[in-house]
Amino acid sequence: MMNRMRSFRTYGAIFRMRRRMETQYRGAVLGGVICQVFFGLVLIAVYRALYAGNPQHMALSAITTYVWLQQAFFRMLLASDPDLMEKIRTGAIAYDLCRPLSLYGYYYARILAQKWMGSLLRALPMILLAILLPPGWELAAPASWAAMGCAAAALLIGLCCVSAMENITMAFTMRTLDPRGVQAMMNLLMMTFSGNILPLTLFPDRWQRVITLMPYAQLLDAPIRLYTGEYALGEAGRILAIQAGWTVILIGIGAYLWRRNQRRLIIQGG
Amino acid sequence: MAFIEVENLNKQFIIRKKREKGQLMRPKEEISALREVSFQVNQGELVGYIGPNGAGKSTTVKILSGILTPDSGRASVDGLVPWADRKAHVRRIGVVFGQRSQLWWDVPIADSFALLKEIYHVPEAAYQARMGELTEALQLGDLMRTPLRLLSLGQRMRAELCGSLLHSPSLLFLDEPTIGLDAVSKLTLREFLQWENRQRGTTILLTTHDMEDITALCSRVMVLGHGRKLYDGELTELLARYDTERIITARYEEEISGTAWPEGCQVRRNGENWIITYAPEKIPTAEMMARMQQAGHLRECTVQPQNVDRLIARMYQEMEL
Amino acid sequence: MDTLRLYRKSMAMLLKSQMQYPASFLMQTLAQLVMESGELMAVILLVDRFDHLNQWTAGNLYFFFGLMSMTFYLTECFARGITGAFSGMVRSGQLDTLLLRPRGVLTQVLCSAVDPRRITCIAVGAFSFGLGSRLSGVAWTAGKALIILESVFCGFWLIMGLFMIEAILCIHSVKSIELANALTYGGRSACEYPIDTFPRPLRLLFTVIAPFALVMHVPAAWVLGKPLFGWPGWTAAVTPTAGIILFGIMYLLFQRAMRFYRSTGS
Repeated sequence: MMNRMRSFRTYGAIFRMRRRMETQYRGAVLGGVICQVFFGLVLIAVYRALYAGNPQHMALSAITTYVWLQQAFFRMLLASDPDLMEKIRTGAIAYDLCRPLSLYGYYYARILAQKWMGSLLRALPMILLAILLPPGWELAAPASWAAMGCAAAALLIGLCCVSAMENITMAFTMRTLDPRGVQAMMNLLMMTFSGNILPLTLFPDRWQRVITLMPYAQLLDAPIRLYTGEYALGEAGRILAIQAGWTVILIGIGAYLWRRNQRRLIIQGG
Repeated sequence: MAFIEVENLNKQFIIRKKREKGQLMRPKEEISALREVSFQVNQGELVGYIGPNGAGKSTTVKILSGILTPDSGRASVDGLVPWADRKAHVRRIGVVFGQRSQLWWDVPIADSFALLKEIYHVPEAAYQARMGELTEALQLGDLMRTPLRLLSLGQRMRAELCGSLLHSPSLLFLDEPTIGLDAVSKLTLREFLQWENRQRGTTILLTTHDMEDITALCSRVMVLGHGRKLYDGELTELLARYDTERIITARYEEEISGTAWPEGCQVRRNGENWIITYAPEKIPTAEMMARMQQAGHLRECTVQPQNVDRLIARMYQEMEL
Repeated sequence: MDTLRLYRKSMAMLLKSQMQYPASFLMQTLAQLVMESGELMAVILLVDRFDHLNQWTAGNLYFFFGLMSMTFYLTECFARGITGAFSGMVRSGQLDTLLLRPRGVLTQVLCSAVDPRRITCIAVGAFSFGLGSRLSGVAWTAGKALIILESVFCGFWLIMGLFMIEAILCIHSVKSIELANALTYGGRSACEYPIDTFPRPLRLLFTVIAPFALVMHVPAAWVLGKPLFGWPGWTAAVTPTAGIILFGIMYLLFQRAMRFYRSTGS
């Protein structure tokens, strides 16, 4: 038990260190925010034009809100750790084996910190900007304070969930010589089914039941739908449970894969 | 007019330092890479260009090869101003950077050469003749179909040289060409450079930290420090100026003790070896030898050759570089 | 002519060197296919829900998407030196090596990279274009084909010109290149849809500054028989040249920037 506590503290330290590193690139953050805002404006312009000829049961303001929140937390979805990729490619990862930690926990803490800080730094200015936009373009207020609270909780679980997913991708990366193909594939699944390319709410209605159950929908789609009120407060418990369930499953799979990788690395001698 | 003319060349770089608390902009700092550097080189000379890291050697080479424009001063190579007539100028020079490749990584080196031929507009006949000559001198014949990435460091450097010389430049810049090479490769490379210099009269300007390159190849050296030219002349003269000590290693048949070594020399002992350092201008070598014979039965005695690296280090120290 | 010859030879060599790793090449080419199919799927799903966008039918939208996709990835394929590799060349000092050779810098930059993996993206674009043309019932004539060819050709130079902004910033060692991305990748994403989708400021941006509308939308709309803003037919042949003009301006700025590079690189 003591041991477990101590290693948790170590993961905490790794988390804080990566978080500080992430705050150093302020210039890049500004450029990234401007670019992301631009993409947001373009997307909303398209949806506005589409809505003009063909109103939907879902309000346009829910779509603009959806787009802004997706853009604001875009960084969360992006594969975040090129260092680590490089390490895996060059075999320098063998050094990490020398650390008295589980590899899974070590990388999980790193990834979580990067996604947390990276998206927070970008999301805050973007959300501020998006609120100030003229009506019809702006990020709307949450459905209610309670909805806001549920959305925040869902976002945190989503963050843990996406970190678990990335860690699984990493584990796979170690097994293939040229991971770029696999990564592109994972990226596409991520961008499509998390609602980044196209809000999941706009996917065909008959697909909705399946795609909202997929793990990708747990990252940003679920929190956003709670925020806009598309998921009623009564459903919140169920939604959060699905999210948490996926997170636990994905962490389990990732930890298993990393344990196997670790064993393989030791046998091969790095 | 000399082949290379350099007159009062100046070049400054502006470096932005890290921003500290309370500063709005990152503070600028100007660093003089070259200050009032002048020299001339004649056609066919083989000149060594030395100095500690950051002395301005690379800056000079970059200016003379047309990559950088100086802040002030004049330079011409064979009548052309490098930075003003870039294309015409670079057609007549070859450049080898020891740590950077100009060939293509994944294709056989022959393909790289063929493309360079295209880039430099080398006529077919001239290309064939030149390639024949170079592949033989650089022993590249068996390697032509091998991709660059599969070559050893020494083979790679030979291929780089071939690539830089196949358009028969009249001036060759070499920046650290022997860095990381093994002894055999270094010797081959030096022999080749001498051959190229003598055979075709190619002017060669060599920057290096390897003093053996300089002693083996160059009769003339220029020393650069803090962007200024500090010495320009014969290598032997430069060495003589700083060559103020000799080292003798001696072994005796029997255990010797308490010998009265001459005043002003340093004596160390390493196992059976006695290591004696002395200044020949104070104690003539003949006297030193006589004293050593008095000390006991000499079994073996060697006067070490001058260690050029140490001389240069001393020179840098004295010049406060 | 001589420059083209050099370009052709360089391409042949680069292709050869990429084929040294066939498995990796195949994997990445497939990955590109998947990515671009994903983009197309987004349009298909939108059409499935909304049926049309202003006066543009589903077929029209595929047509616009296909034209953009083909042109953009043709540029990414053949002008990889500018669209992707340039900043790396500046950082690694490879640009110095190019300056040591008696050829134009831009020529050599273009000769130093190619990205054949994009072939699958181009194929997806061509598929979408063909589908769009069928669904829209375009009756092809030589004139229409020529106009589309002109549009693709001018689009190539336009997109390269836009990527050169990034290269120029890079030479001046400006770090925030994301802004330039808004014009290039942002332009691609936006102008997959016809220009009248957008409000005035964006319309101006993509007509005057990054003239995708002039280069692609005016001729495409004419071919579809729905001239943009009711402009007369001859405009479809004239406006695409805006791409060449933009490239010309960027070319001059690039040359200027290279002089600056030569006087400050270390």
